[in-house]
Amino acid sequence: MGGRDTDIVLLDENGIRCDGRKVNETRKVTIKAGVLKNANGSAYIEFGDNKILVGVYGPRDVHPKHMSDTDTGILRCRYHMAPFSVGERKNPAPSRREVEISKVIKEALEPAVMLKEFPRTAVDVYMEVLQADGGTRCAALTGASVALADAGIPMRDLVAGCAAGKAADAVILDVNNEEDQAGQADLPIGYMPNLKKITLLQLDGILTPEEYKQCIEIGIDGCNQVYEIQKKALQDKFFANGEKQ
Amino acid sequence: MSDGLIIDQLKRNQILDLLKEGKRVDGREFDESRQLTIDLNVIPKAEGSARARLGDTEVVAGVKIQPERPFPDTGDKGMLICTAEILPIAHPSAETGPPTPDVVELARVTDRGIRESGMLDMKQLVLEKDKSVIGIFCDNAVTDHDGNLFDACSYASTAAINSCKIPKYEMQDDAPVKVEEQFTEPPVTTLPVSVTMAKIGEHIVVDPTIDEWSIMDARITITTNSDGNVVALQKGGHDGFTAEELIKCSEMSIKAGAKIREIIKQSK
Amino acid sequence: MSSERKRHVIPGEVITSGPYRAEQNTVQVGENIISTIVGLSDVHDGSVRVIPLTGGYVPKDDDLVIGKIISHSSLSWTADINSCYVGMLPASDVFGRDYSSSSDDMTAKLAKGDLIAARIVNFDKTRDPLITISGRELGKIDSGELVKISPNKVPRLIGKRGSMIQMIESSTNSQVTIGQNGLLVVSSDDPHGLLKAIQAIELIEEQAHVANLTDQVKEMLESKSE
Repeated sequence: MGGRDTDIVLLDENGIRCDGRKVNETRKVTIKAGVLKNANGSAYIEFGDNKILVGVYGPRDVHPKHMSDTDTGILRCRYHMAPFSVGERKNPAPSRREVEISKVIKEALEPAVMLKEFPRTAVDVYMEVLQADGGTRCAALTGASVALADAGIPMRDLVAGCAAGKAADAVILDVNNEEDQAGQADLPIGYMPNLKKITLLQLDGILTPEEYKQCIEIGIDGCNQVYEIQKKALQDKFFANGEKQ
Repeated sequence: MSDGLIIDQLKRNQILDLLKEGKRVDGREFDESRQLTIDLNVIPKAEGSARARLGDTEVVAGVKIQPERPFPDTGDKGMLICTAEILPIAHPSAETGPPTPDVVELARVTDRGIRESGMLDMKQLVLEKDKSVIGIFCDNAVTDHDGNLFDACSYASTAAINSCKIPKYEMQDDAPVKVEEQFTEPPVTTLPVSVTMAKIGEHIVVDPTIDEWSIMDARITITTNSDGNVVALQKGGHDGFTAEELIKCSEMSIKAGAKIREIIKQSK
Repeated sequence: MSSERKRHVIPGEVITSGPYRAEQNTVQVGENIISTIVGLSDVHDGSVRVIPLTGGYVPKDDDLVIGKIISHSSLSWTADINSCYVGMLPASDVFGRDYSSSSDDMTAKLAKGDLIAARIVNFDKTRDPLITISGRELGKIDSGELVKISPNKVPRLIGKRGSMIQMIESSTNSQVTIGQNGLLVVSSDDPHGLLKAIQAIELIEEQAHVANLTDQVKEMLESKSE
């Protein structure tokens, strides 16, 4: 892929997108739970060309001590991109963008995790983007909730992530990098599929009220598809009853 | 890195008792590295990449290549910079925030090993003298930590740089312009490989695990090139080495390094 | 679904919507009782719980645990008990009532890295759990090898009325001290037996969910080769 070509066709006359998908189709998603030796829980997710490794540590002692809460455990999240994850080398130091994404992902996971049982402790979620291709926050969120479940952190539900958006005047599901660069809107969604609650929502771009409604609907649909893959990752790790081969 | 790690006394005694009998906890010989596996192109979007797994220590190295303005005194050479960071997913003791002295040392030793070896012929990486040169950045991310990050980063970097594809650039109006879909091979002259040894009591072992690391008295990292010459050294830890020990270490490094170099060559 | 059978569940999955009490690792949301952890759902006697397949150790009063001394103050040692909370071992537990911080050398008794078999005396989450090493089977551990397994698999390792661990101990001539926190110390005079016992424990850790585990372990223990 050549990068920022201006003449890229985002949607052809047959309604096919630049990477061959239909408007309501997600990219290929694969998740593997329990990939790191040292972490208490972990997951590796490929969401299209995004490649993200998530590690969870805790509940554990809080450092620095003043951050600890005597009534509940706390959740801490770090979203971080490797210098080689993007086209032009990224400075390894955390950017403002990464700080913000870490915060919205934390607030997307908090409604799901139940840390009251572990006062004075912290659960750390580290999301390392090894390769980025648009939609990393949704992919990181999706991987993070699998890693939390793998670690045995109590949760009311998993949180699945998928973006909706608008490109070439059409409402589309799961915005990729080209569509994000050249498209009209990107609306990432985090969703708890059983409790039917949206826990992450942002918008970059302009949508009519009707398009907004469509984006939410199609986005939830995408999250439900992603949820099935999260479920399978956990089932494969924990319930593959010796019938692997 | 492993500072602040407390190994249990039983494990410590077990390691020490076995060393006296000439054995190691995981059954390796003193001069034997753990099994190394290298996977190339794990980050297809980077110009070169490698995942090195040394026992249970894992590092992902990615190479990014872009034109740079050269430093005033080296306008006739390309740029090559290696970095390393320990991701907080790698170990409970790894921290976020500014790099600790251990991590700075890791990054600098990794960089020195590649650079001092003259792995790449930097003169071939000039687009226009004093104006524009090719910059090669090799960033190492430690994803799982079971000791001896120095060598894991060395192997990941060498493998990633050795297998990278350099995009073609042309100078137009004094500025470099990328020629799409055209690449050249990196001008590799030699394959540097580091071998780290831990001194535990009077014993010296190659490629210490995190347990051996936590009880060692001193360590030395020796980088050799394809000709078997020593190109970089780093001593660490709170004890010293005798001259005889250092001679022995260099021999161990050359021997163990040759095997590693073969694995890196084969991976391409 | 009114089945009494155990079912695999993950966080967020509805276990039942009947009139049941939501117990361990479940939460009631509206009419539904939802699992909060990866595990096996267990519905009986009007209550629902999930037996976890993952997760860390939470201290419980009277549990036997294995701990590693990580630091000490003038009044107590701190032990890593493989939990989100560290164990507090008061100096008086070792030196007795007339312990004096000026004349008694704490590190002479227990140093950093020493392993102990301890019991949880008191834990209520507002403070770190208090532990003791005075009592039968308790104290500093001087020999053997530390093995770590998932705390959730400890019941499987012990087996019904201790059958699994007894089988391992007798056929390998080894002794296993089992901490409820997933830390075990295996010791034996016979290095081969020690190795075999550890292999058996690792097998249980990997295969804890299969039905014929006892047979598998038995087969492994009876096999000649390593």
